[in-house]
Amino acid sequence: MAEALVVRGLSKRFGGLRAVHDLSFSVPEGQTVALIGPNGAGKTTSFNLITGYYRPDAGSALAFGQELVGLYPYDVCARGLARTFQVARPFGRMTVLANVMTGALLRDRRVTAARERARKAIDFVGLSAKENSPARELSTIDQRRLEVARALATEPRLLLLDEAMAGLNHTEIDQAVGLVKQLSQRGLTIVIVEHVMRAIMAVAQHIVVLDHGQKIAEGSPKEVAENPEVIRAYLGSGGAR
Amino acid sequence: MSHAFAIDIFIRVFLFAFIGVAWNLLGGYAQQLSLGHAAYFGLGAYTSTLLLIRAGVSPWIGMVAGGVVAALASLPIGALCFRLRGPYFAIATIGTAQTLMLLFLKFRDFAWGAVGTTIPNLGNSPWMMQFAAKAAYYYIALGLLALGLAVTYWVERSWMGYYLVAVGEDQAAAEAVGVNVPRIKRDIYLISAFLTGLAGTFYTQYIYFIDPNTAFSFNISVEAALVSIVGGIGTLWGPVLGSVLLEPASALAQSWLGGGAHAGVQLALYAVILIVVILWRPTGLLGALTAAYDRIVRAAPAGGPASDGTGILGTGPTVRKGLPLDG
Repeated sequence: MAEALVVRGLSKRFGGLRAVHDLSFSVPEGQTVALIGPNGAGKTTSFNLITGYYRPDAGSALAFGQELVGLYPYDVCARGLARTFQVARPFGRMTVLANVMTGALLRDRRVTAARERARKAIDFVGLSAKENSPARELSTIDQRRLEVARALATEPRLLLLDEAMAGLNHTEIDQAVGLVKQLSQRGLTIVIVEHVMRAIMAVAQHIVVLDHGQKIAEGSPKEVAENPEVIRAYLGSGGAR
Repeated sequence: MSHAFAIDIFIRVFLFAFIGVAWNLLGGYAQQLSLGHAAYFGLGAYTSTLLLIRAGVSPWIGMVAGGVVAALASLPIGALCFRLRGPYFAIATIGTAQTLMLLFLKFRDFAWGAVGTTIPNLGNSPWMMQFAAKAAYYYIALGLLALGLAVTYWVERSWMGYYLVAVGEDQAAAEAVGVNVPRIKRDIYLISAFLTGLAGTFYTQYIYFIDPNTAFSFNISVEAALVSIVGGIGTLWGPVLGSVLLEPASALAQSWLGGGAHAGVQLALYAVILIVVILWRPTGLLGALTAAYDRIVRAAPAGGPASDGTGILGTGPTVRKGLPLDG
């Protein structure tokens, strides 16, 4: 199977803090890979390094064989990698439709064509009833839906979801899991940063575990769940006794 | 009130509406609060005047040349200033206009220095943009405003409109969906500077005089922003509404109080208006009117007629939103 994303030796320091250190993992095309770890483990930093928001101090990230390090975020997006943010960042004054159209305009600058494709993405995430609402008036879950729709409208081959399910209730998590599975079935490669273990176990084929900026384990959901190193990282050394 | 005075007020209204429209492309849609548009006004004015007096070139050609010079100047200025965000960007743009003013004050051999120069009066000479009838200037100013509105209308309805508003809302999020933020800012600054340059030529031809203090006046920069903010930033008609309101008021204030002893009154008046608008209605008068329209018309049957989804901005209740200065 071809690799959608290959991360090799990615490192980033913030002053004295090693936010990400010598991180390597790969994502085969069509798979869903989860990045997990305690708070401050370097998950979001890794996303920012891959998508061009931060420059790594060392290492490389190849997407579909092409180097991403050194590219600006908009170039990364043009190469087919779309991301969402941990805290949703809608264009508040714009309508839901205009938000998603902004994404759709990347591949086709004609406004009418973008509107068509934006409506499909909005329909997919289930926001059609609110397409004319200003984005700032949406609830938290709807803002997350909007962000996924906006990312999908750029027609990515690889989708990076940064804690898309944080703060959702059980029903909402089930809906979100369904959405991710549907995207995966369509052939989209997905990298997901998530704290909700139930969701990760349901969607991920492969899990990479980070702690203090370093990879401490990886494997299938079952392997990772039984790994003593992972349990120690999550519960602390006291918990593993 | 004499007829000529009335026409003069109309010309001022159109001219500042046009400058406001040009400013609004960058300052309103993309929310990059420039307070240095006098730089482009002055460059446009000096380019056409130098071409006219040194080489006898028609100001019509000089006007386009001035627009081009202003547009080209926006490239290095933008490359420097766009590194800064929010209030720091605004301060840097003030610096660019002031620097140009100082340069034109210093280099006397090049462009007459502080004394400035008058435009040689040729009587009625349409090809040299000189007219016996004041009405001609009225139509030119109106034509410029129509051009500015047409450009804005096109930008607003094209992909650029979506990209600009996205940049104004959240630059990091815009980049995540593929918006080349530095490029779109550069492009819209170029267009905005070009249009502002045209206004500079027109104004110099209208008052038959140019000097650095007039051409690069901080007042020009402030009024460009002010008419847009008062009328409604990031809207097609906002700057026009703002200019219709502010320019007659400022002209009347000037004529009643005179210049001389009360020279600062106009700026003080602007300051008061700006504070009132920001505190009371940050979306400008157009925002207030839209909100009122929504309350009256749309409130009736179950939310009223659904929008056709062709607008970029959401309607509905007007949320108080800070100016770009908030970051």
